[in-house]
Amino acid sequence: MANTNSNSEAKVDTELSYGQVTSDVLAPLFTMGKPYMAGMGLVLLGLAYGGWCIIQQLVWGLGVAGYSQPDFWGLYITTFVFWVGIGHAGTLISAVLFLFRSKWRTGVYRAAEAMTIFAVMTAALFPALHVGRMWNAYWLFPYPNQRQLWQNFKSPLMWDVFAVSTYFTVSTIFFYIGLIPDFAAMRDRTRGVISKMYGSLAIGWRGTDRQWRHYMAAYGFFAAFATPLVLSVHSIVSWDFAMAQTAGWHSTLFPPYFVAGAIFSGCAMVITLMVPLSAIFKWEKYINVWHFEHLAKMCLLTGGILTYAYLMEYFIAWYSDNPYEWGIFAFRVVGDYWWVFWIMVVCNCIVPLIWWFKKARTNLWCLFIVSIVINIGMWFERFNIIASSLAHQFDPAAWTYYLPNYIEIGVLIFSFSWFFLWFLLFVKVMPSVAIAEVKELLPPPLKQKGVAAK
Amino acid sequence: MSNVKAIFGHLDCLVDAIDGVKSSGHADFAVTAPLPRHEIEELIYEGEPSPVRWFTLTGAIFGGTMGFSLCSLTHLNWPMIIPAGKPLVSVPAFMVVTFEATVLFGCLFTLIGMLYHCRLPANEMDVEFEDPRLSDDVFGMLVRNLDDETAADIQSKLDGYGAIETSITGGEHA
Repeated sequence: MANTNSNSEAKVDTELSYGQVTSDVLAPLFTMGKPYMAGMGLVLLGLAYGGWCIIQQLVWGLGVAGYSQPDFWGLYITTFVFWVGIGHAGTLISAVLFLFRSKWRTGVYRAAEAMTIFAVMTAALFPALHVGRMWNAYWLFPYPNQRQLWQNFKSPLMWDVFAVSTYFTVSTIFFYIGLIPDFAAMRDRTRGVISKMYGSLAIGWRGTDRQWRHYMAAYGFFAAFATPLVLSVHSIVSWDFAMAQTAGWHSTLFPPYFVAGAIFSGCAMVITLMVPLSAIFKWEKYINVWHFEHLAKMCLLTGGILTYAYLMEYFIAWYSDNPYEWGIFAFRVVGDYWWVFWIMVVCNCIVPLIWWFKKARTNLWCLFIVSIVINIGMWFERFNIIASSLAHQFDPAAWTYYLPNYIEIGVLIFSFSWFFLWFLLFVKVMPSVAIAEVKELLPPPLKQKGVAAK
Repeated sequence: MSNVKAIFGHLDCLVDAIDGVKSSGHADFAVTAPLPRHEIEELIYEGEPSPVRWFTLTGAIFGGTMGFSLCSLTHLNWPMIIPAGKPLVSVPAFMVVTFEATVLFGCLFTLIGMLYHCRLPANEMDVEFEDPRLSDDVFGMLVRNLDDETAADIQSKLDGYGAIETSITGGEHA
């Protein structure tokens, strides 16, 4: 970096011009190199295999997915919670850090927001797949019907429907609103049909004083609404479990524990996505080690909270002197699912500690690999909570050992492929770095150098 | 009537121009920028807050009321007597849906308010603003509805403030 702006905390190249930012961000769009085509090929393979598994389940019923009494919440709900959790970092980075005026968010927030939307779209597949007859999934929503039946609004599963659908809607609005000025820049930089397409998306934006004034006011309100929403959504997801009288789930610790875990995994996923994106698109000027180091610090904070929550769960189980509660927690460590528990502990509590060393959290390979390890650990955390508690309930005669079968693994592969399909399409048709906001970080062009505008 | 269009490459020149045009008594003008700059907003609107906030408040109140009503009225319409003494209208249990509906409608109304006040979607805008440079790296200013003599005077003033390009146009704008 040639000349960094040390006055503000924004580490951007101050020699960049506004026009250069527009050119740099739009340059990689619509061109598909070999790494991109290889990635897309893998995604399509995953979709083909996963799609075949979903068709099997639709034709033959939920039985092919390997569920049996009493472990009816298996891989599908595990993966649902995983993807909802991934979605949290996007809104945290775009909304919460916006309110805190944190400048490092600027380079990464657009892709993180897109990640949120695609993650929630992926998560939304799972309740539908899980209920079996997915063509009846609309029964989840309240609408006047011939049977005059209504949903039970005292059920946490119903709360979840409202939480996730509100989260998706608000995140999508926030994402689109942020894109409008950039769509206008793309409209003005392209020609023909493509220009017309971006012109439609820009809905007539010209960047007038009137438009910017109301836009910035609305953007602040969206951020203010999205901030408590981030905390509420995963709290509500945690109540899917905590409201049930099931040992290992029925805990008031769950909401903060789940929110910390969601931000932990979401920030890790942002690192996983952004490290290759920055390298392949040659965007080191806009997304670099400075951003990744902040994300790694977020992971250290939330990972620390998570480790504390793991320890507290065990302390409370022991201190409660409840044999069922203590039984399930001991079962997780040394029972059938010991390997799940220890993968979770190693990946979430031990491996990320390497980021306490600056050398490690500023090394791109270390960041990339550890972020993948964290996401593996966070998937296993949800599996550890869900599968073990249901496999080891109050009646020993009903104890079981659930493992996902090839259909469920296929659906898991489908979910990753589905997520990456959207992300790969996104990076080629929309600016993954917010053009207007990056320009805000640059010193404004002034005729009298060194004299700030009034 | 004529319009005067000016393109500025520097923010301080634009700020001086806004100040000058405002103090000469011309209120019918617009400024464009490729990014939000608080200097421009403060100079033109003098700290007056955007009315979008009233849409937000209305939406949040409407959403909260609707969320709680949806839960309460449907439970009264189809009474499910759940053991453990929970009342039909259970305030703590209904707070979740109430909160989510508050956020949802607050955001939707904010969106409507923003689009309404920004005059979006817009099929027609000032033709002078159909300039690809304005979303890229320059600032624009359009002073509208001027007679020929005043237009020439404003043009020379804007040149003096450091505009890199000025022109007088015919006044076709929506």
